[in-house]
Amino acid sequence: MRPRRWRPLLRRTLRGLAFLAVAVWSLFPILFVVHASFRPPATIFAVPPQFMVPPTTQNYIELARLWPDFFGSLINSLIITLGATALTVIASALAGWVYARRRGRLLTTSAFFMVLVRMFPPIVITLPLFPAVNAAGLSDTHLVLVLLYAAFFVSLGTWIMKAFVDQVPREFEEAAEVDGASLVQMLRHVIVPLVIPGMIAAAVFIFIFAWNEFLFAFVFTTTRARTAPLIISEMLGSVTGVDWGPVFAAATIQLVPVLLFVVLLQRHLVAGLTAGGVKG
Amino acid sequence: MRARPIHYLLISPAQLLLVVTIFVPSLWVGWLSLHEASFGTEARYVGFANYAKLAADPYFWRAFLNTVVIVNVIVYAELLLGLGIALLFAGGLPFPRLMLAIVLAPYAISEVVVVIMWKTMFEPQVGVMQLLLAALGIPGLEWAVNPVHGLTLIVLLAVWHHLPFTFLLLYAALLGVPKELHEAAKVDGAGAWRAFLHVTLPSIMPAILVALLFRYVFAFRLFSEPWLLTQGGPARMTEVMAVYLYKAAFRYRELGLAAATGWAMLLLSLAISVPYLRAVRRRMFADAT
Repeated sequence: MRPRRWRPLLRRTLRGLAFLAVAVWSLFPILFVVHASFRPPATIFAVPPQFMVPPTTQNYIELARLWPDFFGSLINSLIITLGATALTVIASALAGWVYARRRGRLLTTSAFFMVLVRMFPPIVITLPLFPAVNAAGLSDTHLVLVLLYAAFFVSLGTWIMKAFVDQVPREFEEAAEVDGASLVQMLRHVIVPLVIPGMIAAAVFIFIFAWNEFLFAFVFTTTRARTAPLIISEMLGSVTGVDWGPVFAAATIQLVPVLLFVVLLQRHLVAGLTAGGVKG
Repeated sequence: MRARPIHYLLISPAQLLLVVTIFVPSLWVGWLSLHEASFGTEARYVGFANYAKLAADPYFWRAFLNTVVIVNVIVYAELLLGLGIALLFAGGLPFPRLMLAIVLAPYAISEVVVVIMWKTMFEPQVGVMQLLLAALGIPGLEWAVNPVHGLTLIVLLAVWHHLPFTFLLLYAALLGVPKELHEAAKVDGAGAWRAFLHVTLPSIMPAILVALLFRYVFAFRLFSEPWLLTQGGPARMTEVMAVYLYKAAFRYRELGLAAATGWAMLLLSLAISVPYLRAVRRRMFADAT
């Protein structure tokens, strides 16, 4: 056999190995945490590593016993995430439609301002906002996180929405106008149904961000509005040594919903990133 | 069509969010950086004293240097890996939905959980990766005591976490390269490498530049990962600028110093974005009337 015959086979094998390496790199850390959450705590750091142990729910029971606050924090996370997502999508859809359809120097200046503000580092604003939020009595509330999260994603959201509205023919709007529809009616019955994919794409980004965010939750909440990532970080800060079993259980509960979300809505994630990122 | 007052009303929720929660507070930080203040005390004008203090603080320069080094390593490691995976995927993808979901998965994970993953895998003596490295005869990472190792781990987990972003931008760009271009290159007798260099790379250059810019700006903000992993230790050797700012404000209560750091971060972020912002502005205003 001549060596040339082997080349396609070698190529395919190497490509297969490369795909495998990519999958291991992406998934191993995630599977490690999920798997560890079902292992008896004593085996998690056993040397040599023990992966084949009978699964147990002990860590989840311990989590409920030691950190009952965690489950309340999931509710906080959900409220804040849904609030921030709704606010971002509505504000972005309205602004995105205007920027797709209308022109003018002042309007363009305001659009450029949105891109500019996207570059501002979030940690900087904690300095004046920390005392201001306290003075306004908004410290440790859901509202302050909803507003902050929405503010940092409304720019990307607007760009995604503009890209999607750009693809809707203007004739549809003109037809609605001829039929005597008001602006609100036209937006609700003509535009919204056609840009639902854009709204989902915008929602995916803010949803993932708000569900996972740490810095603002760390600075602006103390007890009542603490989110799930914050409670998990507190579990890591224990001075008596970290109790890893419940940490893995909490991490698993926190990550599984949003992971499913990304898997199911990956198409929208791709569409949103290309619309909002590259053309932004 | 020209904008009417109703249209300004429609953009006002988005604009108000940006102005009230980001823009005005950021300007306020600029004012604050010229004052000496702590939480709850009257601010006193001190000119550029905070900046002078910053410039004289070796911990600030350490944080600055750490930031510059790790941001560059993170951004270019992501670019190389992201480009490699994007090329692999663009060359024919088995189970496309599944493989894309796998590569995107890290994007869904919270920074807090990312830190837990990598911290436990690199737990001294007993972490899976430490054991694996030992089995291969490579010394493990002593990230809790050795600053270089600590920063290495921060780079590793940041790359893992943000690779999906870079990958996705480049992959989408690669799929958009017309097939005819490749065929033309083949007809001209170009090898795979030359075709990549002269056809593929120039076609996806805009996407590469956008990915680089956004990753520079976002990696520059890095806070949660170093904070949760090392809190800047040992001996403030693994601090980045955001961690330095946080400690100055909330641990040492030196609001003026923190504000000067914040303003420096803001100006550097804008400086990095100037080429992108100029391009965006030109395109926007060409389309404005």
